[in-house]
This record gives sequence, structure tokens and C-alpha cells, in this order.
Amino acid sequence: MKSSVFRSLILLISDAILAFILFYFYFRFHIIGADILDYLIGIVVVFIIARGLLFFIGSAFFYRRKINAIREVIAEFKKGKFIQPNSIPVVYNEFDEILKELITVGRHLESIVSSQKKEIDSFIELYNGIIFSMTSYFIVLGEDERVLFANDGFYKKFQFQRDEIYNKKIDDIFYFVNARLKGGIAQVKLSGKTVVLEKTHLLTLNKVSIIADIKISNIVVKESNQIIIIIDDVTKKLRNDYQISLMSQISESIQKDDEIERVLFTILTGVTSGAGLGFNRAMLFLVEDAYLAGKMAVGPDSFEEAIEIWTAASSDVRSATEIVPDEIKAGINLFNRVLNARYSLIKNSSIFIRSVMKKETIHVYDMWHDDRVNQDIRELMDVKEFLIVPLIVVNRAIGLIVADNKFNNAPIGKESSELLSIFAAQAAMSIESYTNLDTLRNEMQKLSERQEAIVESEKFAAVGRIAAHMAHEIRNPLVTMGGYARRIMQLPKEKSKTSKKIDDSAEIILKECERLEKTLSNVMDFSRPSKFIKEFNNMNDIISDTVSLLKNTFQEKKLKVELDFGTDIPLVKSDFNQMKQVMLNLLQNSIDATPTGGSISVKTESDGDAICIILRDTGCGFAEEDPNAVFEPFYSTKVSGVGLGLAIVKKIIKDHDGSIKARNRNRGGAEFAIRLPIPG
Amino acid sequence: MAKLLIVEDEKHQRELYAMEFEDEGYEVDQAVNGKEAVDLVKNNKYDLVIMDIRMPEMDGIEALGKILSRDKKIPIIIYTAYSNYKSNFMTWTADAYVTKSSNLGEIKDKVREILASRT
Repeated sequence: MKSSVFRSLILLISDAILAFILFYFYFRFHIIGADILDYLIGIVVVFIIARGLLFFIGSAFFYRRKINAIREVIAEFKKGKFIQPNSIPVVYNEFDEILKELITVGRHLESIVSSQKKEIDSFIELYNGIIFSMTSYFIVLGEDERVLFANDGFYKKFQFQRDEIYNKKIDDIFYFVNARLKGGIAQVKLSGKTVVLEKTHLLTLNKVSIIADIKISNIVVKESNQIIIIIDDVTKKLRNDYQISLMSQISESIQKDDEIERVLFTILTGVTSGAGLGFNRAMLFLVEDAYLAGKMAVGPDSFEEAIEIWTAASSDVRSATEIVPDEIKAGINLFNRVLNARYSLIKNSSIFIRSVMKKETIHVYDMWHDDRVNQDIRELMDVKEFLIVPLIVVNRAIGLIVADNKFNNAPIGKESSELLSIFAAQAAMSIESYTNLDTLRNEMQKLSERQEAIVESEKFAAVGRIAAHMAHEIRNPLVTMGGYARRIMQLPKEKSKTSKKIDDSAEIILKECERLEKTLSNVMDFSRPSKFIKEFNNMNDIISDTVSLLKNTFQEKKLKVELDFGTDIPLVKSDFNQMKQVMLNLLQNSIDATPTGGSISVKTESDGDAICIILRDTGCGFAEEDPNAVFEPFYSTKVSGVGLGLAIVKKIIKDHDGSIKARNRNRGGAEFAIRLPIPG
Repeated sequence: MAKLLIVEDEKHQRELYAMEFEDEGYEVDQAVNGKEAVDLVKNNKYDLVIMDIRMPEMDGIEALGKILSRDKKIPIIIYTAYSNYKSNFMTWTADAYVTKSSNLGEIKDKVREILASRT
């Protein structure tokens, strides 16, 4: 209302000014007197035209200004700016009204937008919060399997720059993509269902390696299929589980009576397994007498081998230790080099010896510039950084473990170093208890063998005593009978048929008595060994065992014993105790036959078909024409004994498909030669 | 003529030896065990003792010790069915160790030999 009054007023004033100007010109030029009507009409016409022109120009200017203002506002709107810097104009006309409304709408829009933006921001915040609080790392792949997105965790964990992996293929991120991951992606694409891959080993191009549970899902964004890969790092959890299971496996391995190599291998697998301490290589040395000797090594020889191992072996807790040491093909060079390594504890001043002597963990950061590392160890290790951890049992170092990351060059962190120390302490205890157990077992074995031998020889001695007793009991009446029969024969006789018969009968009694006496001077029976267990035995061991059993007897008689064992004597399938009995009887025989100060020698050799055992003494030798008669049962030249010893020997050797021969030596004394066939 | 003491617990055997040695011309006394032998040696003078080992009351080994502790010079022959007493060091103190046999030739030779060496 006010605006229209104002506008009318302006028009009125402009009209008045225009009229004044026309009338001024009219009167100024004295047009009065002329045809006044024409003039008036002319003035009115001019006035109308002038006013029309004026009005047109003025409106044109006015409209342009207002429309520009509106355009500006719309342009700002288009840019998304809803709040205008200019204040709401005073409304004089419809343009102002439109402008005003536009501004008002703009403010309204702005308030709507800003309120929603807050919501969106809080959503983003929440979203980020969730993602950051997750330990998972994830990447999103587009339809072409190129990376669209990865979360911060992923960048941090795998040490990538933000733009470094965008639009790259998955093969270009991970050093090797094992078949499981690729297969998983293909499966998800095909079925659209989520696939979970447990305990998968991942190694990135920049050599960060983890063990992860991987979840692969499909999402559809803007009509395109995208793959989300969520990676859960389970390395730590797995390591904890593994360490517990490893210790139990080591003790299990010890209890199972495994060989020491197997126990050591289990330990080193723990150091190198991804689920274990995750080192690339591990070596184990043990103190032996005055040396530190290489015992076991686990780890690849080259980066290619490393990848092969990491790809092939699933990171499952058990599988790594189920590999038998013989089956390790990778790392054979390392294994052999370590096995040949031997450092004197006294003369050597290397860094290994230092670790053992001072019982301290040594972390070598840069071997090539570390003066403590000598050339030997440089050649063996050939790596920049490594860790030496001593194996300590009750204040005594029994060896050490050396570990490094030769292939992924990952720095050895404080955590790894501490873990290895803890692990080494447990390993040391295991090795020590194994060694103790082993020693104990060997001693027990020896003891029980000795006991068996004693029981066995005692048994034979008992048989001898019983036989001798029987001989006495029978011999006494025989002596009486024979004696009287002889007396009958010696009595002066009449030459009658009766006395001839008496004589003949007495003679028969006497002959029979003599025959019985002869039998008795040998002896009746011997008990056969009850059991016969054939297994592969080393004859050298059997001989040395028997010799040590008779040690006291040798010393008593001051006999010299010479043993000459062939080095490559094949094992013979035989009954251990019976073979021992053979040696015992033969040696006993030689001891009895050899005078004080003499010597007895035993030699073993192999001629390819058989093992020969040759026993020689410096005794009296054999009196008989055929010395092999000594193997006849009840044969004896000894005043004591039952005359069965050598017969037993012959029987046992025969039972073993072997042969035994006796002969007199050229320079006196007896020689026994045994041949035992080597199983083909 | 030399005087012998035969120590033997079995009656028939003892009598057999006595007869045989008397036939040889020796004077023979008999003892049934070690104890009797020790008593006889105490009161008589013998040129030689033939001693069995396994006997009741006192065995030959003990008797041997007792006789020799009284008279070290008296010759003693161990005459036994056992051959394994040879390993007993006490029997080493005897002059001979002869294993019993129905043929008395060996013991007779031994007696003769020892007595010959004493004169």
C-alpha cells in the first residue's frame, strides 16, 4: 500500500516537472498568439510521447536491476549457497516481493540442509568410530577387481600410502595371493554369498606378513558389484594358542621317546612358524664337551623357497610340526651348514661363544658393521640383523638359538626378542629334561642288560652245580660197585666153569661202571635257553658288553684283552642274549685255558657275505687231532665245569645259520672263528 | 711198612679201599668222618691220609685244616667224587687231589709216589 502511494507520488512529480518544462519552452519562445489550440495539442502529444519514453527508460532500468538481483540469488542457490549476504529488501513492488521470498526460501533451505548435514556428519563420525574401533582391515574392490577403497587400518598395518594402492589389482598388493583368496573372490562373485577363509597367510609387497581370517562379501552399489574383503589379524591369538600347544607338543615328543632331532625340530618350528614366533630362519646350537656344535636349522635357503613354504603350508597350528625332519627339502643348505658348524668354547671368542659364556641375549643390528661378529659367523649368517638367545638351565647355558628375518627383512622388535627369550627358556628345559631322560634310559638299559647277563650266567652256573652234585651222588656208588667187581676179578680162581662165569659177570659190571663214570665226567643235561628273539644287533656291542662283564676275571688272571673291531660291521639278525652267551662261553673257555699273564684277542670283520669273529688266546690249545671235537657235548678238558660250554656255543651259532671252527695257532694257543651270515 | 688212614663215610667204599691197600701191603686204619680222623691222627702216627670231602659231622676240608694245623708234614690226598672242590683254596694245601674212580690205579700210584718222595 505504502509502495503504491510512493510510486504514484513519484509519477506525479515527474509529470509536473515535465509539464513545467513544456510550458516554460512554450512561453519562453512566445508562441502565445499563434494557434494556441494546435500548440496545446502538440504539447500534449509531445508530453505523452516524452512521458512514454521516460517511463519506458525508467522501467527498463528498474527491471534490469531487480531481475539481476533475482538472478544473483538463483545463481547462489545453484551453487548450494542458500544464505544471501544482502538483507531482505524493502518491498516496493512485486520484484522486491519475489526477491524477498527467494531469500526467505533460501534461508529455509539452508536451515534444512544444515540440519541434515549435521546428521550426516554425526553418521560419518559414528561410522569412522566403528571402523577405527575394529581391529579389522578392509578393502573394497570394484567390478574389475581393482581397489576402490581401503580403511585407515589397512594402510597403517600394511604400510601403504593412501594413493599407493588405489585402482591397483589385488595381485599388486600382496606378494603372493594364495589360491584360497583368489578362489574365495571367485566364489563370492559367482554365488553372491559371503566366504570366510580362516588362518590364511598374507604377505604384502612391502613384506608385511600376517595370518588372518578373511571374510569376503559382495555388495551392490549403483548397480555395480563390489567385493568387500575384511581382514582380521589373528596372528597374535594364534601365536598364543600355538605357544601353548607347542610346549605340550615338545613335551609330548619327549615322552613319545622321539629322537632328539625331532625334539629340536619341533622347537625350531615354533620359532619360525607364522603362528609361532614368526622368524624367517632359526638355528640351534648345543654345548658338547668343550664345543658349541650346530644341531638343527629350520628355514628356507632363498626368497623363492620362502614363498613356496608360506604358500604351501597352511598356517594351521598343528600342520607345521607334523612335517618330519627328513621331509624338509627347503633349507637343506642352511641345515648342512649349521650341522657342520662347531666352535671351541675355549679358543673361540666369537659372538656365539660370548652369548653362551655370559648367558646373555645379543641383538646384532648390523652385522656388516659390527666388530663383534667374526668372519666365520658372517659367512654362516649372511644377514644384516639377527638375534642370539642362550638356552639356560639353572644358571648354565646348554646352547643357543639364533633367529633372523633374512627374507622379509622385517626388523626384529623388542617384543619378538622377549618372546624368543621366554621361548628359549622353555626350550632349554625341554632339551635338558630330554637329555636327562635319555641318559637315564640308557643307563637303565645297560643295567637291565647286565642284570640279564648275570642272571643268565648264574643260571648256567646253577645248572653246573646241580649237574656236579648229581655226578657225585651217582659216582660214589659206581666207584664202590666197580671197585668190588674189580676185586672179584682179581680173586684167585679155580679153573672151573662157575668161576669163569663169575669172572665174566664181574667184568661186565666193571665195564658198565666205567662207561657210566665216563658219562658222568661230562654231564647229564643242560637246559635250553627258553626264548629266541632275533633282532638286528651289532656284534661289536655284544662283544664289548661281554668283555666288560668279565673285566674282573681278566684282572684277576692278569690277562691282556685286545679288541680289534671292524668299523663297518653290518647288523646281524640275532638273539642278543644268546649271542652274549656265545661270547661269554668262548671267553670263559679262553680264560680257563690261558695261563696268568697271557692275552686274549677278539677281532671282527666283514667280507660282504658274513661277519667274522675271530677269538685267539695264548693258552694250551687243543690236544686232539681234530680240534673241532671240542664242540661235542660233554666234552671237557677242564677239571671243573660241565663240558657243555662249547657245545652250547655251537648250537647257538647253528641256530643262527652260522658256523664255528676251532684250530690250534701256529705259535700255540687256540683260535675260534665264527661266521654269521649278513641278512640279504 | 707205611701206615695209612682212610677217611670215608660210605662203609662199603671205605672197606674196599682198606682191602685194596692192605693187599698192597700197607697198614690201614679207617675213620668214618673228619672228626674221627682228627682224633686218630692225634693219637697215632700215619704216613699218609686219604681224605674224602663230603662227610657227616665234619667234612674233609675242615678235617684237613685241623690235621695240618697240628702236623704240617703229614701228606694228605683229597679223594673225592667232586671235581669242583679244586677251586676251594683249602684243598690246595693237600698234597694231591684225585677224583674217585672204580679203577683204583690212579690213587694207588699217587700214594706210592708221595711216599717215595718222603723217604
